[in-house]
Amino acid sequence: MTPIQLVFLFVAFATLWAAFMVVTRNNLVHAALFLVIALFGVAVLFVMLEAGFLAVIQVLVYIGAIAILMIFAVMLTRGDVDDIPDITNRYAGWVGLVAVLFFSSLVILMAQWPSFTALAKPILSSRDTIVELGTALVSPNGYVIPFEVASVMLLAALIGALVVARPRKGK
Amino acid sequence: MQIETALLIEWVVKSTILIFALLTGFAYTTFYERRLLALIQVRIGPNRTGPFGFLQPAADGLKLIFKEELIPANAYKFVFILAPILTVIPALIIMAVVPWGGAIELFGRQIALGLTDINVAILYLLSVASISVYGIVLAGWSSDNKYAMMGGLRSSAQMLSYELSLGLAFVVPILLAGSMSLNQIIEAQRGVWFIFYQPIAALVFYIAMLAEVNRAPFDMPEAEQELTAGYHTEYSGMKFSLFFMGEYMKMIAVSAIFATLFLGGYRGPFVDTYPLLGPLYLFLKVFLSLGLMIWIRATLPRLRYDRLMAFGWKILLPLSILNVFVTAVIIVVFGL
Amino acid sequence: MFGSITTDMVLAILPEIALLVLIAVVFVTDLVVDEKRRGILAWTSIIGLLITMLLTAFFAQPGAEAETLWGGMLRHDWLAYVSKLIFLFGALITTVFTLNWDSVRFKGEFYVLLLTSTLGMTLMGASADLIMLFLSIETTSIPLYVLAGFLTDDDRSTEAGFKYLLFGAMTTAVMLYGFSLLYGFAGSTGLYEISAAIGAGQIPAAALAGAAVLVLVGFGFKVAMAPLHFWAPDVYEGAPTPITAFLSTASKAAGFVVLTRVMIAAFSSVQAEWQLMLAIAAVISMTLGNLVALSQTNIKRLLAYSSIAHAGYALLGVIAASELGAASVVYYFLVYVVTNMAAFGVVIVVSRVIGSDEIADYAGLSRRSPGLALVMLLAFLSLAGIPPLGGFIAKVLVFAAAVQAEFVWLAVIGVLNAIIGLYYYLIVLKVVYLTPGKDEQKALPTPRPQAVALVVSIVLLLLMGTVFAPWYQWALNSASALF
Repeated sequence: MTPIQLVFLFVAFATLWAAFMVVTRNNLVHAALFLVIALFGVAVLFVMLEAGFLAVIQVLVYIGAIAILMIFAVMLTRGDVDDIPDITNRYAGWVGLVAVLFFSSLVILMAQWPSFTALAKPILSSRDTIVELGTALVSPNGYVIPFEVASVMLLAALIGALVVARPRKGK
Repeated sequence: MQIETALLIEWVVKSTILIFALLTGFAYTTFYERRLLALIQVRIGPNRTGPFGFLQPAADGLKLIFKEELIPANAYKFVFILAPILTVIPALIIMAVVPWGGAIELFGRQIALGLTDINVAILYLLSVASISVYGIVLAGWSSDNKYAMMGGLRSSAQMLSYELSLGLAFVVPILLAGSMSLNQIIEAQRGVWFIFYQPIAALVFYIAMLAEVNRAPFDMPEAEQELTAGYHTEYSGMKFSLFFMGEYMKMIAVSAIFATLFLGGYRGPFVDTYPLLGPLYLFLKVFLSLGLMIWIRATLPRLRYDRLMAFGWKILLPLSILNVFVTAVIIVVFGL
Repeated sequence: MFGSITTDMVLAILPEIALLVLIAVVFVTDLVVDEKRRGILAWTSIIGLLITMLLTAFFAQPGAEAETLWGGMLRHDWLAYVSKLIFLFGALITTVFTLNWDSVRFKGEFYVLLLTSTLGMTLMGASADLIMLFLSIETTSIPLYVLAGFLTDDDRSTEAGFKYLLFGAMTTAVMLYGFSLLYGFAGSTGLYEISAAIGAGQIPAAALAGAAVLVLVGFGFKVAMAPLHFWAPDVYEGAPTPITAFLSTASKAAGFVVLTRVMIAAFSSVQAEWQLMLAIAAVISMTLGNLVALSQTNIKRLLAYSSIAHAGYALLGVIAASELGAASVVYYFLVYVVTNMAAFGVVIVVSRVIGSDEIADYAGLSRRSPGLALVMLLAFLSLAGIPPLGGFIAKVLVFAAAVQAEFVWLAVIGVLNAIIGLYYYLIVLKVVYLTPGKDEQKALPTPRPQAVALVVSIVLLLLMGTVFAPWYQWALNSASALF
């Protein structure tokens, strides 16, 4: 086993462990902190895949913005920080079973697929990946339409959030 | 990915040097601040410990280590202990991508002065800056103290708001240099520093960076008159000094980043022939930038909180968007 | 470095460009016009949508050969063209129905969100790439979540918005997981490249079928087919009625366009599997929708269950997976959008005056407003599938497609369901025409713009039932673009 594989195993297990903790903690702030660890693990996996751009974006967007907003929301909305006594309901067992079944069937199915165990070809590019990415995002024969649509969607979401959250007159 | 032993040793050595430089820098920045403030306020400042008071930081450190550590009874202990650590780590790692000089020849190896040069350096800086808010929020939340909570919330809202302007100010050097690597940005300032091309971006950057590190006039989270000491009200001893350390190291780090983006980084006269001059030039620029920060603290009163947010969202952000837009158009139209 | 933009490419997104300009115009108008004169916002949207429709109809018509443009993101074909016209029509009529409704009439954000959602739908109709598809579905859905909960003072509307959001977010996540599996298998996000890669590779059929299930969850939510229909009655009841009309017509049609295109283009190699899944969904949708509709006392809930049942009928066309099947789906939605718009139009006008959506309160409507009662009669009969209305032809085509594809049993279940459906549509009409009401002497006026919209819908409905050829030609053209 190479050192890189060891690192991968460690990171992968840490990520999964943190993700498991996210859904099992009774305390919302703790859950949010574990979420941060899980997201960070994913960022490390991106680094190991030599996708530096995705890694820093993962940290910047998910850890630096989304997770912090979650923690904010928890802190602002919950008056007391007491633990929620019980986070499961009577379907928890069934849901767990479905998740396990789904995962194992996915693994079994994937195992039959020859490309699953094949090594991917390394991306050989003489150009800077960031330049490639930037060009692809704005090129008419690339992703310019999704890129622009995303901006329209985000604007609509922004307006929508304002509509929902704006204080009403007389309240 | 094959990592050779020599490279590994090189990295360890460089990291150690960097951390020691930051720690010493932290200690002497506090001294620098006290002496400069005293000078501006026509006082003398600390001058008793050692020659010219040079041992003052060591004395302060010793004092803090021997202080009693208090943890409030209702605090969330784990998070309470974690928070100061989370504050210091970003301040330590953010400098990893900032180059201190060109390359030198040592033991038959070409050694770059600088920990690493990655192609997404600027995004790295932004992402580390964005996680530095965790320490403050969590400190405020876990203390079980309303002043601390208010301070934590204020500072995180402030940091999130100013991060946008900061990010947009980062875009301008990227546009001018055509790269996100800090080495290439420095290389692009071989002729003229970017501060002369882009005074507005530099100004926006400097203001946003003051807000990022919670320095006066944006030191809202620790506004003594309203919030006692803000998010670190309940901290004492070494934990308090970690916050202190975090703040001063962040000051040094952002000054170094400012120097790199707008003041030509380690570049200066004769640096190509004598690469060891690089760190010296960088030190001088950081020193001046820190001096300016302290001067601002001595001169300007603290902003009111709502004014601070209004300023960030209604003035700074539109200004930086406009600046990026105009710069991009000029670059495209004139094909620079 | 960048490839150039050709006239064809611009024409293909002409409706989207026009909508975007319109959104900007409404947005700025809202900003500069003072509060009392904001009534012009609705009219701006109406005129803008009319212009967009005309521009689309005359300039964005595709050639005989389907083209894939913008780097494989968008498809410029007849299916996209016809569906864009359907969505624009739906948005136009919806906007007309908001005209006398003071709680939204002066709010620019309402129209901006509505138009953004329409923009998303037009892109859904043309998407030929998973990334594009996902973004356009979100662009459609996110404004709709807000619009469903737009009346923040009304608890039912808030509840509707929130339920819609939670259900939508969940199903979208599942769908996205399916997309990621598809991308993993095929190594490409283009629908047509995926189809080719699946044909060439040795991907286990079961894995593909699994991905198909996940993708179908997302689409099933958008078209409100069973077993993903739970949101529909509550959301339809709570949302502002024009938005309910929009949800049940344009949004559902958009879901069906995507469903048809993706299933036929990308999943052709596991056709038998997804046909079976959809057949089960169709049976449940039809039966459950019709049976539960029988016991409804609220007209909006009744129409919600009716719309679930109609999703079931339309699914028969998709299941057929033939040219006739696809054409029948397109025809079904041409008719269904017009019919449901008319039905909801009556509900909107009536509830503005009587302030209730209970079926019992519709008693004596034929004496209070014979015109509205007639519109309701025609719309409901068309929903039930009575000749010579459009609904009849649509149902015949769908059943014919099912029979042709050897799904006779499905067609039989469909016909049986249509009979159950007829029963509850007639019950409502009985209340409207025969039951004596309280305020029979008081006339129930229809404002002029709404009257025009209703008349246009009814005329179209009659045309689709009688002058059958041109509409069917559109449907056939659209279907041939898929094969």
